[in-house]
Amino acid sequence: MKSNLEVENLIVEKDKEVGKEMAKLGNKIEIRDLSMYYDSFKVLENITMSIPCRSIVALIGPSGCGKSSLLRCINRMNDLIPNSKVEGEILLDGENIYNPSCEVIELRRRVGMVFQKPNPFPKSVYDNVSFGPQVMGIDNKKEMDEIVEASLKKAALWDEVKDKLRTSALSLSGGQQQRLCIARALAVQPEVILFDEPCSALDPVATQKIEDLLIELKENYTIVIVTHNMQQAARISDITAFLLMEVQGEPGRLIEYSDTNKIFTNPSDYRTERYITGRFG
Amino acid sequence: MHPKTADRIATVFFWTIGLITLSILLFIILEIFGRGLLTALKPSFFWGQPKTDAPGGGVRPMLFSSIYLACLTILISLPISLGAAIYMNEFARRGRFTNFIRFCLDSLATLPSIVFGIFGMTLFVIRLRWSYCLLAGACTLALLNLPIFLRSTEEALRQVPQTYREASMSLGSTRWATIRKVVLPTAMPGIITGAILPIGRIMGESAAVIYTTGLFVNFLPRSPLDPAAPLAGYIWYAQTEAWVPDYRQIVNGGAALLLIIVFLINYLARKLAKVYSEKKTLGGI
Repeated sequence: MKSNLEVENLIVEKDKEVGKEMAKLGNKIEIRDLSMYYDSFKVLENITMSIPCRSIVALIGPSGCGKSSLLRCINRMNDLIPNSKVEGEILLDGENIYNPSCEVIELRRRVGMVFQKPNPFPKSVYDNVSFGPQVMGIDNKKEMDEIVEASLKKAALWDEVKDKLRTSALSLSGGQQQRLCIARALAVQPEVILFDEPCSALDPVATQKIEDLLIELKENYTIVIVTHNMQQAARISDITAFLLMEVQGEPGRLIEYSDTNKIFTNPSDYRTERYITGRFG
Repeated sequence: MHPKTADRIATVFFWTIGLITLSILLFIILEIFGRGLLTALKPSFFWGQPKTDAPGGGVRPMLFSSIYLACLTILISLPISLGAAIYMNEFARRGRFTNFIRFCLDSLATLPSIVFGIFGMTLFVIRLRWSYCLLAGACTLALLNLPIFLRSTEEALRQVPQTYREASMSLGSTRWATIRKVVLPTAMPGIITGAILPIGRIMGESAAVIYTTGLFVNFLPRSPLDPAAPLAGYIWYAQTEAWVPDYRQIVNGGAALLLIIVFLINYLARKLAKVYSEKKTLGGI
């Protein structure tokens, strides 16, 4: 058995490696001093974090700490909520997405999203995947067929649905529906994909499939995932952010943001440790 | 009291109330059909020409007027209420302004239809010099139905899960594309039912048409600016002012005919909505 010190050294070594890799790839997203309000209620305060290219970043923390709100800042989905307000900036490839000149439609094309409950449209499997490209103006049938097939393949769903592309998406199982939603998001060729607790409505087998898929997708996409499941964060993410609203009514803050290994083996903050060992939350 | 006894009493109580309601409805239906069904089903009645001085007149122009009027009314009020419902549900922020609109609509919905009739006469028939015609009646009925239409359309739009809108927006669609390609198709069964059900009311409305479309015609109206005599208005006319000796038969037969039409329309509305939603879940949109 290795001593604690050895383990720690190992982790530090790995941290360094990860750090080098990150530096090599550069950061896809940089969140700087981000605060967010619903009406006058402050939901998030001074969040700063860098999300490296082609990695999986997990956001964990107890309910109500603002994980989902933070996630929805990255593709400006919060804009849809009246009276929400954001301070600070989020840089996507170095450009602030909260600049007035930023095209929100284009931003949402680049930053896709998969939701907590599978929410395919009440249309056919094919029409679900082709929805985004169609909205973007692709109307060539052959091109569309290729996009649909490629997206479904990337979402590891093609083999299961290739014979029923014209049937209703609602006839698929929950896990298949969620992978269809992933395919739908992939069809517009995003660079970043945000996952908002994508497995919380799924059984363990379907969850396993989604997790495998996420790790595969990491090769080409930058992934940010909100999860309630700490084992899931530990299994699939490279970096973990721990958010916490310490007192009810106060904004959520970023308590710790570091390599997933470190967070789950040797967290720097006592609150992180208490959370991951299950003493609260 | 023992909970079990209380439960039994409550059960009996509500069953009784339910049965009373049902029997009142059944009584009305049977009464109307009992008096007029035989007349209503006679081809010489529903397909015959009306007579002004002899018995045995039919109601063909009236039946035609009613159907024409209903179609015209839907044609006028559907685009307006659909547009307004989309605005209220998809664009407007919930606040003072939308509350004010809703308050006005609710007030409008409770206004007696005779007020609409007088208003329609003053504005369309006299002021705009359309004279008594289908268009005047249709505009009046469109106003009368606007609150009901708008509410049902709004409700249909509200039934569309928010997550559909979010999914669409997250794929980079504009608000309009989301409405057109996701919200409206999903809400369509509800919109269809909401548009068809008031037809029964439009056809049954008499006070609003008496002052706007006319009461008696013996030809089929062609243009929307032709005078007409919808069935419900004609029933009132036959009962109070007609000279024909068999006016009772006309009234009873007309009432039964109206009831049949309303039944048919309601059945059709359900059928259509069902067919549409089945088609939708099969991915046919």
